[in-house]
Amino acid sequence: MGKKGFGQSEPPTRQAKKFLLAFMRCMAETQEDRDRVHNFFKSHQAQLNESLLEALPLVVQKLTPEREEIAPFLLTFGNSIQQFPLGDRMLNLELSIAAYQECLKIYTRENFPQDWAGVQNNLGIAYHARIKGERAENLERSIGFHQQALQVYTREHFPEKWARAQNNLGNAYGDRIEGERSENLERSIVAYQQAMQVYTREHFLKKWAMAQNNLGNTYRERIKGDRGENLEQSIVAYQQALQVYTREHFPEKWAGSQNNLGIAYRERIKGERAENLERAIAAYQQALQVRTREHFPQDWAMTQNNLGTAYGERIKGERGENLEQAIAFYQQAAKVFSRDAFPQQWAKNQSDLAETLMKRASLTNKIDDLDSAITLLKASLEVAASGTPYFIDSQYRLGNAFSRYYEYTQNPADLQQALQAYKIALEAIDPEHYDRKQIWQALPTTQSILGSRLVRDGRWQEGLQLLLNSINQLSRGDDFYAHANALFQTGKAHEFLSDWDNARLYYRDALRLYEHLKDELGIAQSRAGLGGVLVSQGYLEKGLAELAKAQEIYQHLQKPNKAAELDRLYQLAKRAWEQQLSNEVYV
Amino acid sequence: MTTADDIFDRSANNIRRLGLKEIPFTESPIALNSETLRCVFTGREGELEKAFNQFQSRDRRRILVYGRIGIGKSAFLLEVLSVLRRKRPKMLTAYISLPSDLDLATTALIAVAREMPDDDWALRQLHQMGIPTTKPMKERTTEASATMGFGAKLSEKDLPMTKAQYATVSLETLLERASEKYPEGVVIAIDDLDKQNPSVVRQMMHDAQGILKGRAWFLLTGHPTGITGDLLTSERGLFDLQLELKELDRETTYRMLINYLNTARIDNECKDLQDPRSVLPFVPEAARRFCQVSLGKPRLFNRLGNTVLSRAAELQEQLITQTVLEECLKVAAPTLLQRAALNVQEERVRILLQQRGSLSDDTITMADLEPLGFRSFVDIVPILERLEEADLAHQLDRGDAKVFAPIPLPPADDEVLPE
Ligand SMILES: Nc1ncnc2c1ncn2[C@@H]1O[C@H](COP(=O)(O)OP(=O)(O)O)[C@@H](O)[C@H]1O
Ligand SMILES: [Mg+2]
Repeated sequence: MGKKGFGQSEPPTRQAKKFLLAFMRCMAETQEDRDRVHNFFKSHQAQLNESLLEALPLVVQKLTPEREEIAPFLLTFGNSIQQFPLGDRMLNLELSIAAYQECLKIYTRENFPQDWAGVQNNLGIAYHARIKGERAENLERSIGFHQQALQVYTREHFPEKWARAQNNLGNAYGDRIEGERSENLERSIVAYQQAMQVYTREHFLKKWAMAQNNLGNTYRERIKGDRGENLEQSIVAYQQALQVYTREHFPEKWAGSQNNLGIAYRERIKGERAENLERAIAAYQQALQVRTREHFPQDWAMTQNNLGTAYGERIKGERGENLEQAIAFYQQAAKVFSRDAFPQQWAKNQSDLAETLMKRASLTNKIDDLDSAITLLKASLEVAASGTPYFIDSQYRLGNAFSRYYEYTQNPADLQQALQAYKIALEAIDPEHYDRKQIWQALPTTQSILGSRLVRDGRWQEGLQLLLNSINQLSRGDDFYAHANALFQTGKAHEFLSDWDNARLYYRDALRLYEHLKDELGIAQSRAGLGGVLVSQGYLEKGLAELAKAQEIYQHLQKPNKAAELDRLYQLAKRAWEQQLSNEVYV
Repeated sequence: MTTADDIFDRSANNIRRLGLKEIPFTESPIALNSETLRCVFTGREGELEKAFNQFQSRDRRRILVYGRIGIGKSAFLLEVLSVLRRKRPKMLTAYISLPSDLDLATTALIAVAREMPDDDWALRQLHQMGIPTTKPMKERTTEASATMGFGAKLSEKDLPMTKAQYATVSLETLLERASEKYPEGVVIAIDDLDKQNPSVVRQMMHDAQGILKGRAWFLLTGHPTGITGDLLTSERGLFDLQLELKELDRETTYRMLINYLNTARIDNECKDLQDPRSVLPFVPEAARRFCQVSLGKPRLFNRLGNTVLSRAAELQEQLITQTVLEECLKVAAPTLLQRAALNVQEERVRILLQQRGSLSDDTITMADLEPLGFRSFVDIVPILERLEEADLAHQLDRGDAKVFAPIPLPPADDEVLPE
């Protein structure tokens, strides 16, 4: 930080100019050797700062006579700073973008159409990775740049560059936030398929493999079509890529595709789940042989994160141990994925860790883990770009965490928060998404729990409204159990309000549905409720019959407590009934 | 050559051939003026007595009138009000049908303010809520029919009304102002509470406890499956009297028929139960049969009466004998069905009801529900109630189950039986 007023600090432009000239000299000497450029940045790391970013445009202007000569250097600077793994990543990306933008002042579309298109392509990549600014907006710009590039790079005249731009466009659409996600993924697939028309295996072995790998990613996330089938397609694509990306010749790419293959196996629907998870773990471990923390910190962290998820879901082995392992992996990943340098990755990793803590909480019944999970998720959501899959996941998880938390606290405010989170997730998720149903059903189920709770608390208007809403939704869904339960809860709420007529209606509906589902416990509950209501209404004989049946089922289900609980009511009603009978005799 | 005028004359002649000036039956009591209502209103002696007993007290009372749709709640309310107007000239009576989206305080405020056209403050209240306060309203003094006309207008529910800002306080103020001119007090009758969502009404009643226990008399109506079911219990103590209106018995229905016919018969006033002329143009056996099919339900009675007389006129009959009646009743079922304008789903439920003979929460099965696209009885209750509203179904009087059955009407000649 420049201390104003103390000593003689150099004006930023002069410093920047010196730096740029040094960089140009280095370039000239090293002929753009990657490692040497890397070393140059490493030794000048202190100068890669905000003032350089500010000064860059001014300096370029000042170099007027050499302007045209400076353009290639700017381009190289932009490219290499983008790939430089050390320092402040956000700043590095801004520097890269600034350099490209300066470059474009020289490479205009009229005078240097091809160079112009090349810079557009690079800007597209930089904006895709950009950390600063609104993520959705950056991705829109990235798409825009790639489309610009495609205006010059036509298939006819520049088939290879055209294919590259298509591939990059595919990447950007794959991550796009605006628009329907399902549509964006389709566009991404189309773009990759276009690219592969040029990148054939025969002529562009490496590029073909890259496109296969990318296609594998998109199929893995695809929303349209059959999910199980898409995942198979994804696995095939990765395996194709791995035929070219051997460990021997392309260790990095090999590791990348192994990592991706691991993800696809983890998500796989076909085949045996336990086995798929083992395969996923094996693939990740392969990847880590190349992806060391020292050489590829970011990739290493990514695979650590993936291992965490696989262990969290692992079926083989001891569950408690697997969860501990998972937590350890996430903690490793967090060492690289810091909030500042990799906000999106950090957010995902936090959220994944939270999910595992929730799993541990259900294993150990410890509320502390839920507590931490909620804290982690909230922090993660502060950073996660809204509308991204991670964001949606985290909202859903937050909903789950809060509704589980409620089981301990019995504080309706927690359910309210759960509802809120589910609602946000539901609004953000693509209507066709394969996970949507899960969230869609969580919402009314939580509504019905909250509803019955509010009714018990005397907030009937709100409570009943929630219950009725949830029934309304559940009656159109296909979760029969949740529907039956909501009907039962509504019966209970009405019973609580002494609205016998409605209580009876809902208990009977719950009973009918539980019978249809052959759910013994549900049947017993509903009969017990119905019996109680009929007794309250004075239909003693009918009520007694229901209570007796409920008792019988409870006995059968080995729930003597429940049966005994009912017995008190039963005996009371029976006495009243006998009384009634004897009165009738005497009349 | 027949002109439209000729056709009109012929149509009037057809009615006249039956010895009637017009068809006296109406669907809603709002359509009647208070004099006519007084003439046709029949029975309910016990209920009226219980209600009037409440008015012999100095304390303000709250009365709930409940019963199924079409059973005569509105008519009862209007009858009570018109008696009070005659017997208690120093009492202000206000009738209103509960508009949607309004709370009880605002509703009561509107009802009372409309009855005080000479009071500037009251007019301003209405004005602020966007309710027209035109000259005719001001001119209206004690004319009862105008009051009812207003009730009808409000129930149209398309007036853009805004809530009064401090409805509870404003109502208090208004009642205070009214007490100067009406020392015998203010009666506020709020009709059709059951047309609102039950949970909304439940909350509404809860919120309005202060007002209901305040300085006015209240008469409210609802139907038992809506609010009343749990008002009777959870809001115990809110009402001083809960009156359930049930089907009229056969004899009362017969007297009701006499009363209606008397208001329309040309030169032939006869109310003597024993005298066969009292039911003309019906012959006594046909009149009895007509009362039987009306099931003691006043609205069904009015709807069927309308259909039967129109059909008899069309057939250019002079007298409604048993055979003519049967002929006329054949069009009743199709007429009701046509007027109901059911949608596909409602029609499917109707057919199921017809096939089963009755539908109830107790006996309906998943196999009945699933083809309709439902999984619970509560889902089809609104549809069954819609059929009830159209007199295509009615609820049986069972406390341990909600049972709907078709209204038994003679089949039409060409009715195609559902498969
Ligand atoms: N006791 C009665 N005597 C004569 N007509 C009646 C009587 N009760 C109801 N009606 C008539 O029957 C029809 C339906 O009654 P209404 O009061 O609208 O029923 P509800 O308000 O219960 O739905 C109206 O035309 C009304 O005038
Ligand atoms: Mg009415």
